[in-house]
Amino acid sequence: MNIEQTLQKAEELLTPWNKAATHPEVNRLDVCISAHDLRPAVTALHNAHWGYLSAITGTDLGAAAGQMEALYHFCNGPAIATLRIHLPRTKDARLSSIEDIIPPAAFFEREIREMLGFTITGSKNSERLFIPDDWPEDVYPLRSDFSIDQAKAVEGRHADELPEQGVVGGNTFVVPIGPQHPALKEPGHFEFTVDGEIVTAARMRLGYAHRGIEKAAESRNWIQNLYLFERVCGICSHTHSFAYSLGVEKLAQVEVSARAQAIRELVAGLERIHSHLLWLGVAAHEAGFDTLFMYSWRDRETVMNLLEQLTGNRVNYSINVLGGVKSDIGLEQAVAIKEGLNYLETCIRHYLEVVTTDTMFLNRTRGVGTILFAEAERFGLLGPTARASGLVRDVRVDAPYGAYKNFPISAVTEDNGDLEARCVVRLNELLVSCFAIRTIIDNLPAGPLTVKMPRKIPAGETISRVEAPRGELFYYIKSNGGENPARVHVRTPSLCNWVSVLEKAVGRQLADAPMLTAGMDPCFSCNDRVITTVDRSGSRQTWSWKDLRAYGIEYYKK
Amino acid sequence: MNSLISLLSLLIFPAGLTLVLTGMFYEWVDRKLVARFQNRVGPRWFQPFADIVKLLAKEQIIPKVANPFLFFGLPMVALAGALTAAVYVPLIGFAPVNSFPGDLIVTIYLLSLLTLCTGLAGWNTSSRFSLIGATRALTQLFAYEAPFLLALLGPALATGSWQISAINDYASHHWFAISQPVGFIVALIGLMGKLELPPFDAPEAETEIVAGALTEYSGRGLAMFKIGKSIELIVGITLVSAFYLGGLHGILPFLVKTLAVLFLMTILQSLLTRLRIDQTVGMWWRFGSILVLAQILITILLKGNLL
Repeated sequence: MNIEQTLQKAEELLTPWNKAATHPEVNRLDVCISAHDLRPAVTALHNAHWGYLSAITGTDLGAAAGQMEALYHFCNGPAIATLRIHLPRTKDARLSSIEDIIPPAAFFEREIREMLGFTITGSKNSERLFIPDDWPEDVYPLRSDFSIDQAKAVEGRHADELPEQGVVGGNTFVVPIGPQHPALKEPGHFEFTVDGEIVTAARMRLGYAHRGIEKAAESRNWIQNLYLFERVCGICSHTHSFAYSLGVEKLAQVEVSARAQAIRELVAGLERIHSHLLWLGVAAHEAGFDTLFMYSWRDRETVMNLLEQLTGNRVNYSINVLGGVKSDIGLEQAVAIKEGLNYLETCIRHYLEVVTTDTMFLNRTRGVGTILFAEAERFGLLGPTARASGLVRDVRVDAPYGAYKNFPISAVTEDNGDLEARCVVRLNELLVSCFAIRTIIDNLPAGPLTVKMPRKIPAGETISRVEAPRGELFYYIKSNGGENPARVHVRTPSLCNWVSVLEKAVGRQLADAPMLTAGMDPCFSCNDRVITTVDRSGSRQTWSWKDLRAYGIEYYKK
Repeated sequence: MNSLISLLSLLIFPAGLTLVLTGMFYEWVDRKLVARFQNRVGPRWFQPFADIVKLLAKEQIIPKVANPFLFFGLPMVALAGALTAAVYVPLIGFAPVNSFPGDLIVTIYLLSLLTLCTGLAGWNTSSRFSLIGATRALTQLFAYEAPFLLALLGPALATGSWQISAINDYASHHWFAISQPVGFIVALIGLMGKLELPPFDAPEAETEIVAGALTEYSGRGLAMFKIGKSIELIVGITLVSAFYLGGLHGILPFLVKTLAVLFLMTILQSLLTRLRIDQTVGMWWRFGSILVLAQILITILLKGNLL
């Protein structure tokens, strides 16, 4: 089926509820429905196995329009069908929960509820996921009329206080992991209720380091935002700026040169190597195999050095600019990259042998946290976690973007769906990436590095999807024709994969919980993007951007 | 005069101060070797000593719910147990400071005291992490204790004495590592279990339960547990090498043999992935204890035939 037929199918499925349908782009279908038709429409798409729910975007259309929008994006290969629901900007913005049909929707729904004040009826969990416990009621940071003065902390409001010593009663008690815990160097909070060594319930909380990036994006111009989005994640910084630039270039109808596209894919490949090697180390450490941890991080230095040589930076490479890339690949760098890849390939092959043959490591990975195909589909898994369960979801293959059309890669899959399969998938992917990087270096197309971009981007909205090391990264970008974007919504792969961890930890041993969490390669900075609250020296304060900047300048003066 | 010499030998050499310093040295060797195997630089030679000095200078925080008597008492008992155990083993290649028939059992009991105290300390501080750590430490104790004891009984049965010095003397003519290889391996791995070294570090698996039973300990209490641990390391290694590697007589053989055992242990530590607690127990009862029982049976039968 080609894209038109796929979209045609979706349109047919949605006919009974369709109020107005448009095709904003060749690969997109946009269907307006009313709020009470949401569940039947979603059920129709779901039952027909038309793609998967990729994201739910909430947008405030402003006080003048008096409306909010909820967009349910379904992706099927390159085709995207969006269900668009208009709702009033009041408490009556009611949406029925679809988490019983599509479990990962729970996280998306909680996000739009907390950020924009949609009322989600029928959702199982009414706890806050992202915004702080002492955040005032009825204040929604992504509303267009939100001001920082509204965000005054409410004293004494703490939702998740635990019973004394966490003893729930009987033999069970709660083991908290994070936000400060040696296992989790990142600010997430998990509570595992354990009976002896067996986990009986799992719960999580995010948002300890919200930075308000989506909100901040609305007050910055298109170019400034490139650097802002690069900082969503310190591990996959390139994919974020990649997705953002692709989207903006699409809106501006600018064609980037083949050379720049190829360089972007090359950096994305190197970044994947760095990210997966980092993950391998973390996973080995969680399992208590520190030698593998040290070795893989040692070898990761090789690719970090290559990235530094290529872009000048080790973490936020900032090689993307709107309309192209900043730096070229010279002969010297090409040689260095190839040498580095030779070394890395030897290492990766060795690790592949270790994770599939080391009996002690296999004790902790084989058959642990198994997610089979049907379950993977139900949980809406993405990226290597999905591919380890035989679910081929890889944007690079499904909907090739940028240079992936000219330098295609093959999707790596495994069928077992356990932690071992996830290790194997990730390592094999690196070999594929190494091959792709070599091909690009040998066949680097000629062309300018950048093309001119307009300062104002024409009005419109677009969706840009990029395969990050952790899975599909989803950007929804909307322009009103001005110098700033009207709305940028980022849905990171980690958010889609949480459901599987929480469900799979129950019934397993506590000792497996960190491994399960690490197994999906969670990225906390990816999840935390939206609030501007800083907790400093015990007292909670709300800092505006101006205050922060002033504080920063003052701090470095000393 | 005699009592003065005994006092000196207890407090300064070879037990007491020398013991503590040797323990720290062995701990450093362990950490350094593991670091080198893992491609790291590793600590400098005085690092374990610096750790202890730092801990001794630090504030000790008592959890509100903990019984203070137990909180302060347990590390002392643990350290005292480990120090007393050292009295009966041929430290640094010298004859044991004290010796009597059956001291092998007493020594093994004293060595377990540290684990027991750790378990109790975890229970007493009643933090969630320390409770789980304590449960795991005690569960693990039941897993390796019997096979470890049986592994040490092999040479004792062959010697026909349960006195450490007698076995040490007998072993100088009989390399039990060759005649009882299974016992040697079980003793070596059992010792790693006793010391909670990887892969038996589930009781202090930092990725799940922070520091396990000792999570709430800081300052002096933690320092005492740590010193106790390094003494247990050296006493354990001394026991195993005295029994299985041809006895310990003189400083040079002591250093060579004990460091060889430590070297083996560091290799295992860097090669193996942490076992879950159910896997640890399963491994010891399914393989360790059965193998060592078979070994003992063979020893008894052979000895009977020889007699």
